[in-house]
Amino acid sequence: MHMANELLSVPVAAGTLAIAAGGLGLICRNVRQVIAADKLALMGILGAFVFAAQMVNFQLPAMPGTSGHMVGAVLLAIILGPHAGAIVISSVVIIQCLIFQDGGLLALGCNIINMALVPSYLGYFLYKTATAGPFSSLRVSIGAVLACVIAMQVSAALVPIQAALSGVLAVPFSTFLITMLGVHLLIGLIEGLITVAVLGYLQQVRPDVFVDSLPGKVRLSRKAVLITLVIFTLVIGGGLSLLASDMPDGLEWSYAERPDQPDFEAAVSNDSAAIAAVDDFQARYAPLPDYSRRSSAIGETGEAQADISAGWTSFAGVVGSAVTMAAIWLTAWILRKKQLPKA
Amino acid sequence: MHHAYIDKFAYQDSPIHRLDSRVKFIVVLVFTAVVISLPRISLSIVVCYAVGPFTILVLGGIPLRFAFKHILLVSPFVLVLALSCPLYDKTPVTVVFGPFLWQSSLGWVRCFTILGKFIVTMLALIALVSTTRFGDLLTGLQRLGVPKLLIIQLGFLYRYIFVLIDRAHHILRARAGRTLRNLGFKAELKIAAAMLGSLLIRSIDSAERINIAMQSRGFDGSWRTLSKLQIRRTDLLFALMAASFMLGLYIFVRPVLQ
Repeated sequence: MHMANELLSVPVAAGTLAIAAGGLGLICRNVRQVIAADKLALMGILGAFVFAAQMVNFQLPAMPGTSGHMVGAVLLAIILGPHAGAIVISSVVIIQCLIFQDGGLLALGCNIINMALVPSYLGYFLYKTATAGPFSSLRVSIGAVLACVIAMQVSAALVPIQAALSGVLAVPFSTFLITMLGVHLLIGLIEGLITVAVLGYLQQVRPDVFVDSLPGKVRLSRKAVLITLVIFTLVIGGGLSLLASDMPDGLEWSYAERPDQPDFEAAVSNDSAAIAAVDDFQARYAPLPDYSRRSSAIGETGEAQADISAGWTSFAGVVGSAVTMAAIWLTAWILRKKQLPKA
Repeated sequence: MHHAYIDKFAYQDSPIHRLDSRVKFIVVLVFTAVVISLPRISLSIVVCYAVGPFTILVLGGIPLRFAFKHILLVSPFVLVLALSCPLYDKTPVTVVFGPFLWQSSLGWVRCFTILGKFIVTMLALIALVSTTRFGDLLTGLQRLGVPKLLIIQLGFLYRYIFVLIDRAHHILRARAGRTLRNLGFKAELKIAAAMLGSLLIRSIDSAERINIAMQSRGFDGSWRTLSKLQIRRTDLLFALMAASFMLGLYIFVRPVLQ
């Protein structure tokens, strides 16, 4: 669910970058007092573990050819605690952006929020809530699966919301949301199962990894999975059916007045001046293609002429750029050819 | 084991490689913001902006095939998004492009603009990463105010990614050598969990050893590097050129199109 640059407008990107940076800064400052220097190497290497873990794939049932793998945000939050877990996963997201170019530079803020901060804290909170009280294997399983599924759903839902706030969605908002939620329901469930299985393995082999958080034996049972699904269905059924009842299509939803959520409306109407300005800007400065709706051409001749001249401009721009690039490449090529015999 | 080092070109030498990492980072960030804020239905101006990262890649001696192969590798999500545009936006438009003129739909135009912006911003990011050593980039980021804890974390992570990926390859090869048929989901899940668990335990153990080694050499939680970052005249020149390129293109294109 790496967000791309193209899904965001600059204000939203800047805002989320600021939130992510602020959040990370706060965590770093607080964690610094808790984490001794000897934890630093462990955190770094567990970040690298997340990368390596993504290579370990396994066959999914009923879908030959596809394979699942683990993301590990909730697992790390359980092992390291939410603060350190959030820092580790954030650094993974940053490296994915900088070294592997997965997710854009502007979208980094969104990606850190969606994939690191939300899953770590929400997942840890859900896991802790579910496992509060006396230890039982069933509770740990349910807690871990539920934490993975719900954390994944929330971060999947954040992607279309951020895109809708940016106002760049061509796809209707509800379609995008439902697709994201559907796909990530499956991913979250598998993540939950593998998390419980790994917890069970670790418990068996190296119980000292969890200092005192897992006193008994963890086993993944069918019952746990079923109960989790029932709980989750109830939550989703109750929550989404209210929301989906008369949802306006697409972007209007984010502009619509919502008396139940006064903050929501205020947040968007703040932006509306800027959005109008951007719309106006885009209408004026869009060079290619200069499209005219055939039905609504009023000053037809004038507009058509403007269209044609603008069309030529964009043509010139593209051809000029192509020629420039070719010239640069050729020059570099010739220079390198000249240099090679000497070296 | 061998795998492609993604940033192998960062260790070359060229005028671009010698620039200050802070300047490059900020220029790429601003460039990305400028490209993203371009109108959503204008492909030609995006092509004009492509000249910038293209020049840097060529000057830095980065093979273009490497860059495009890499873009292809990370494109699936954007590709799905872009290709869904024509399905939802069927407003007919007339595309005028020099001597050519044809009918199309707004969705297709948007689709290609999204792809164009994606490629241009990714080119810029690749140009940054493959002309800057990661250590220098981290030092630069630290000077720009990123918390030290995060920088140390990123440094460790970068250092050990490839080590652990190698280990994962070993484990995967062992599984491939012992698995002759599909075992069903439950067994597969169990095996994968054991693989991940042992990988995790090995990581924790090596972290302990590394920690002991670093402590014995006097590591107190802060990194000291030899690299002295300083903004030189060439860096200023580069920033000036980049700014005038972005601004100039903007100003040049604007009046003609009104």
